[in-house]
Amino acid sequence: MSGGIARGRLAEERKAWRKNHPHGFVARPDSGPDGSMNLMVWQCTLPGKTGTDWEGGFFPLAIHFSEDYPSKPPKCKFPAGFFHPNVYPSGTVCLSILNEDSGWRPAITVKQILVGIQELLDQPNPADPAQTEAYQLFIQDPEEYKRRVKLQAKNYPPPV
Amino acid sequence: MDSEDEMQDAYGGESDENLSNENEEDDEVSQNNEPDYGFDDYADDDINPSSRLPQSNYTILSEADIRQRQDESINTITNFLSVSTVEAGILLRHFKWSVGKVNDEWFADEESVRKSVGLSSARSENRRKPLAENLKCAICFEMYPVPTMKSSAGCEHYFCEACWRGYIHTAVCDGPGCLTLRCADPACGSAIGENMVLELVNEEDRRKYIRYLLRSYVEDNRKAKWCPAPGCEYAVELGFISGAGSYDVVCKCGHNFCWNCLEEAHRPVDCETVARWILKNSAESENMNWILANSKPCPKCKRPIEKNQGCMHITCTPPCKFEFCWLCLGAWTDHGERTGGFYACNRYEAAKQEGVYDEADRRRDMAKNSLERYTHYYERWATNESSRAKAHTDQLQMQAVHIEKLSDKQCQPVSQLKFVTEAWLQIVECRRVLKWTYAYGYYLPDHEHAKRQFFEYLQGEAEAALERLHQCAEKDLQEFLEGESWQNSFNDFRTKLAGLTSVTRTYFEKIVKALENGLQDVVEGQATATQVGQPSQVGQGSRRRNIQMDKPNLGKANSPAFFTWSEGLRTGENYLGSRDAADAIRFSVDTSNLKVSRLTYHSHL
Repeated sequence: MSGGIARGRLAEERKAWRKNHPHGFVARPDSGPDGSMNLMVWQCTLPGKTGTDWEGGFFPLAIHFSEDYPSKPPKCKFPAGFFHPNVYPSGTVCLSILNEDSGWRPAITVKQILVGIQELLDQPNPADPAQTEAYQLFIQDPEEYKRRVKLQAKNYPPPV
Repeated sequence: MDSEDEMQDAYGGESDENLSNENEEDDEVSQNNEPDYGFDDYADDDINPSSRLPQSNYTILSEADIRQRQDESINTITNFLSVSTVEAGILLRHFKWSVGKVNDEWFADEESVRKSVGLSSARSENRRKPLAENLKCAICFEMYPVPTMKSSAGCEHYFCEACWRGYIHTAVCDGPGCLTLRCADPACGSAIGENMVLELVNEEDRRKYIRYLLRSYVEDNRKAKWCPAPGCEYAVELGFISGAGSYDVVCKCGHNFCWNCLEEAHRPVDCETVARWILKNSAESENMNWILANSKPCPKCKRPIEKNQGCMHITCTPPCKFEFCWLCLGAWTDHGERTGGFYACNRYEAAKQEGVYDEADRRRDMAKNSLERYTHYYERWATNESSRAKAHTDQLQMQAVHIEKLSDKQCQPVSQLKFVTEAWLQIVECRRVLKWTYAYGYYLPDHEHAKRQFFEYLQGEAEAALERLHQCAEKDLQEFLEGESWQNSFNDFRTKLAGLTSVTRTYFEKIVKALENGLQDVVEGQATATQVGQPSQVGQGSRRRNIQMDKPNLGKANSPAFFTWSEGLRTGENYLGSRDAADAIRFSVDTSNLKVSRLTYHSHL
């Protein structure tokens, strides 16, 4: 194994996040039923950007880190069936910086990932669609697309 | 039969004369220090019988040769461009080891080349050193003293050594993509040179990296390929790529393969037929069916790709990275909104309506339906393959054990027994050709009766010729290995076996050429028996009288080919001497039965 710096780095990521993170975002390691903390899976919430159709939604995102992290990128997943052109039907996010073959570099932080995904929500990348439904509406029926986005935002209200 | 006798007469006199010369020579030879049997033309050759491509057409490269070439290229670039050897290596890898291309691009626009390969700009040579004493590594988030940290040669992104090791280790484990590794900072494109990688990896990764480096020279080069034989480490570079013709090459390891499709050498059938045939024979046909149904080969690197979700825009995995459309397999650069977006492809729909894809499907269906026919050809193909493998084993055994024994028994130097090895190599080669003629026959259309008949005739003759050679090399030789035989009869045996080898070689070369030409000159009703082919040339000098045809191209002469061939074969028979005539006469074609105009051929057999 390549040293297993994953946990060390994640502990540092956690510290850095607690010190300072963008407003409205939540990111915390998973905790088991017995209260133990699993650094390798983070449960996050990212807010839809104000001034966009995504505003008002607080979208749950799970980040799965592997033992190879940060050499290999983590996997980011919305709930299955999430409506977005660059999200696979399984919920996995398709984003260049999360692709181990091209965009991923070990120096990319959790914060950069989350902000990157938030950006992606309102600015889908039509060159790399990952699901048919959202992609086709985005291209062919912008009105319906907008309606669906807003509906989805409503389905993910702010956490209480 | 009349015509046959005439022909025998025509050559009889000359042959007898030559034969007696030969015998005299043979007698001399036994005492001579430098014996010469007239086979030296072969003895000096690379004795592999299938090296039909002129040697100059391809070069076998060992790992040392490749390394030497790489070093030479790097030296050239270092001198021309005044860059370091590491930078020269980065440039050459980027431009697929083409010195010319590096030069052209560099002198056209040095800055843009530097940018695209990730070399620091010439102007910003002196980098800023970080002012702080300690820096936080952006990978593990720990603080380190700056002198213990590292950055790539061209940027100022410092990471701790442990993180660099991890980053490079992961890249090396991921494959040859590590040769184009960039800085770990997301926004930085600075290339990581060979020196830095080798400094930071463990022994295993070091070996891997050096291996990838070596391999890149062959794998990036369109004219070089690795020998596909298991464990063989030679590469074969083609001198020039001829538009047509054979790609058969013989590697230094002895593997005889087709440079184009990397299957074993398969003359006379073409690569496409071989691929179809092999696919058909694949024991894993279930798997194949699945792969066929569920994957498509990358149009560039040919690796099968399964598409499980997402759009039609496919990007192959590195190092290929080719972007293409899943539907039409065209380059993605030609696609976009105007071809119907990411889930459809107009070009595919249009082509489908024109029936381009239907055709391929229909062909496949037809092949499926002819199972019985297939079994017939397959069984014979497989039998010949196992005969070939057996012959190959026998040949090795011969070289390893029997030659020595024979040398003892017959008091002959091993160098004088090459004709036995040659005969065995020829047997192996003939089995290989014969095997592929069955794949050829399978794909020969049923409705071309004339061609089929001619083909089957040739095949039958070839089998017979080979059997004869095989028997002589196996049974007759056995006598000399076991019993006490006279010197003289061994010389006769030598003459017979060498003659049979030569005759069989010629015959098989002809059959290969004829089949490669697609038997194109066999046209029903057009052939006439009145033409007579090029006369055989008998005798080249007094010592060597093997068969030489002026134009050994069967395709050019259809019916004359028969005469030419039978003449040629009969020449061989004369060569063998009168004692073997009873055997050798089996070569000849009963020309009286040859109704060439109707193309029905019979042989004595």
